Amino acid sequence: MVLWLTLKEKSRSLIHLFLPPSLHNLYAVAVNLHRGKILGVTYTIPPFSESGMVLYNSISEHPPWLRNGPSTDNMASVRAASRLLPKRILSKTKAVPAAAVHGSRNFHFSIYGKKKNAQVSNDISTQYPVVDHEFDAVVVGAGGAGLRAAFGLSEAGFNTACITKLFPTRSHTVAAQGGINAALGNMEEDDWRWHFYDTVKGSDWLGDQDAIHYMTEQAPAAVVELENFGMPFSRTEDGKIYQRAFGGQSLKYGKGGQAHRCCCVADRTGHSLLHTLYGRSLRYDTSYFVEYFALDLLMENGECKGVIALCMEDGSIHRFRAQNTVIATGGYGRTFFSCTSAHTSTGDGNAMVTRAGLPCQDLEFVQFHPTGIYGAGCLITEGCRGEGGILINSEGERFMERYAPNAKDLASRDVVSRSMTIEIREGRGVGPDKDHVYLQLHHLPPQQLATRLPGISETAMIFAGVDVTKEPIPVLPTVHYNMGGVPTNYKGQVITYTDGADKVVPGLYACGEAACASVHGANRLGANSLLDLVVFGRACALTIAEEHKPGEKLSPLKPTAGEESVANLDKLRFANGSLRTSEVRLNMQKTMQAHAAVFRTGSVLKEGCDKMDAIYQTMDDLKTFDRGIVWNTDLVETLELQNLMLNAVQTIHSAEQRKESRGAHAREDFKDRVDEFDYSKPLQGQEKKPFDQHWRKHTMSYVDPKTGKVTLEYRPVIDHSLDEQDCARVPPAIRSY
Amino acid sequence: MSLLRFSASVSRRLLWKSAAGESVSTGCSRAASGAVSDKEPLKKAKTPQGRFDLPEEKSKDVLEKFPDDVNPVTKEKGGPRGPEPTRYGDWERKGRCVDF
Repeated sequence: MVLWLTLKEKSRSLIHLFLPPSLHNLYAVAVNLHRGKILGVTYTIPPFSESGMVLYNSISEHPPWLRNGPSTDNMASVRAASRLLPKRILSKTKAVPAAAVHGSRNFHFSIYGKKKNAQVSNDISTQYPVVDHEFDAVVVGAGGAGLRAAFGLSEAGFNTACITKLFPTRSHTVAAQGGINAALGNMEEDDWRWHFYDTVKGSDWLGDQDAIHYMTEQAPAAVVELENFGMPFSRTEDGKIYQRAFGGQSLKYGKGGQAHRCCCVADRTGHSLLHTLYGRSLRYDTSYFVEYFALDLLMENGECKGVIALCMEDGSIHRFRAQNTVIATGGYGRTFFSCTSAHTSTGDGNAMVTRAGLPCQDLEFVQFHPTGIYGAGCLITEGCRGEGGILINSEGERFMERYAPNAKDLASRDVVSRSMTIEIREGRGVGPDKDHVYLQLHHLPPQQLATRLPGISETAMIFAGVDVTKEPIPVLPTVHYNMGGVPTNYKGQVITYTDGADKVVPGLYACGEAACASVHGANRLGANSLLDLVVFGRACALTIAEEHKPGEKLSPLKPTAGEESVANLDKLRFANGSLRTSEVRLNMQKTMQAHAAVFRTGSVLKEGCDKMDAIYQTMDDLKTFDRGIVWNTDLVETLELQNLMLNAVQTIHSAEQRKESRGAHAREDFKDRVDEFDYSKPLQGQEKKPFDQHWRKHTMSYVDPKTGKVTLEYRPVIDHSLDEQDCARVPPAIRSY
Repeated sequence: MSLLRFSASVSRRLLWKSAAGESVSTGCSRAASGAVSDKEPLKKAKTPQGRFDLPEEKSKDVLEKFPDDVNPVTKEKGGPRGPEPTRYGDWERKGRCVDF
């Protein structure tokens, strides 16, 4: 008699005490009893096979005591499993065809990728057996940009691997509910050159105009392509994609009024985009390596030859050798205390590039929003203030009256953010740490709130735990987007700036929020970031397809490549200092929020730089608790903390050095933009300032990972578009709306 | 092996206990209902057996769906529910700003 027990949550935690870590995924246990004696036990961990019986799709799911060594034969695993099973169940498994044992697809948990390429090598360390894979292209990250690049490459015939630390549909792209801009011209006469002008102006002339030209010209085709993939955009009566006004878009180069360019999918554009791309990517033969944490790039002679990653599920190290590596790992919102990003937005790609000795670009440009809920990080709409909500400090004073006597709470976002930060700095913040302010809405009639802002009481209750009709909502300025990242050209290739020219790093590409092809420049316009993802994801795939062929022979790699990454991993795994990872992370986040947030002045930034350098030194004193290697979240969080620290020091040092206010980087002591000419006056008779005396340039930051020392260099902005005849460049001017 | 046997028996016992508990509580409510008929009747525990007896309350979403999913003002089909999300200059949904 077979007794099936599906383990409920309560008993599962009990059983965890008794079982080895590899069995913690236990879902159900089948116990074969005969007269009170247990004849055999089988157990399942998801996914099940068709017959519902215990089947392991691949060797990686076996506990160590069951594995037959590095065998690629699945039948061996079934033989091993059948040793446990009594004869009656054995007959059942024999009836299961071998194809079912193989599993319907090898795409999620197959440790070996394409079986013939997998080898276990002992070259790095005998304690960390390394599995080597060979692919034509590797994409790190499976958000909007990563998925688009991965299946673009698969479509072109490349043998592609997609390494991601999250399941693709859990990437942070899923949280983007706003729309995507494209000059389709469905609502009125529209031209992508007007979109180009708006984006260049929005970036405060720090965006590279060739990349912006590329993005805005490709935008209509990209949106139509998404729609052909099955993304259910909202429609007009005629069946064309409905576009609405959003994000500083205008007609006729700013002179024709508001443009309607933003396409959306009901309330969930990013969610729908990600699911559409994921569904589409399953059509192609991409190998997904889900829950693999990418540790480092494998660089040799300045060329990128692949990635080394840790499989979180079983703790093995994997080296992915590929001719082309695409980085699409997203932003690094988690360096700040209050951010809208997921806990997984830790800037892994930026850090991998930094450790490889390559620069990161424009990291000081971080987009803030004034009213984000304290603790949760969700943003409260400006409509609250528009409907009459007011910001109050610990003394119950409506402090905006002092900072903006006319506009008061309806002042522009940066003014409000700075005022809130000044109030907090001067000690009039609320809460036990006095680190936020209140947004008061309970003086408004509840009916008005319910009709004008439906859902806000629900939001406030869920995320802040307050009843919006009785208590104020705790808010503080919150990070929303990182404009900076890995520098690329308009084709998606990663570049460095040496000897006065852009030089391409062979084999390395980047797209999405992790990259800085600099379409957003100093400030991102709303609804442009989703467009950035798909256009540059596709651009990376096209560039690789143009320059390389599938099945190209890989250049040789040293057998000990990736050794330092594994040494670092080992060091962190057995770290025995005095500070917990969470403490160091909180210190870093609080320091960045206090010093590198909205309110930036020389003294505050300098103090922040010194504090961050000190916190960077404390990273040697970390203590981790989990010494295992299977699903060691302590270790992964510590690796993420290392990545966050690299991003944080570059951000604050770049901000401290940039002595002007441009876009999202606003300084109290240097309130104006410093360009090569003074664009507020006529250009006649003005002398052009030399390169090192003006600030219309990109910051390229390098860090020495051992000491934490940041070196800054500068790179000029690309001012010409791809085709001057087709789309003339936009000369800089004063940015005013 | 013995550990698994123990846990199997533990979970079995837990199942029995919960089943026994339910029968006791319903028994109690039936016995006591005579005495407390003038007050509010004691609520029955939501047992798995009685799960589909009560009509399920539909949770009301604050943002109502448009008839036929067509916005009557802008004639947008399949668009965001509720008031126009961009009416305050940022993309707002349920009081949360998702893009600006």
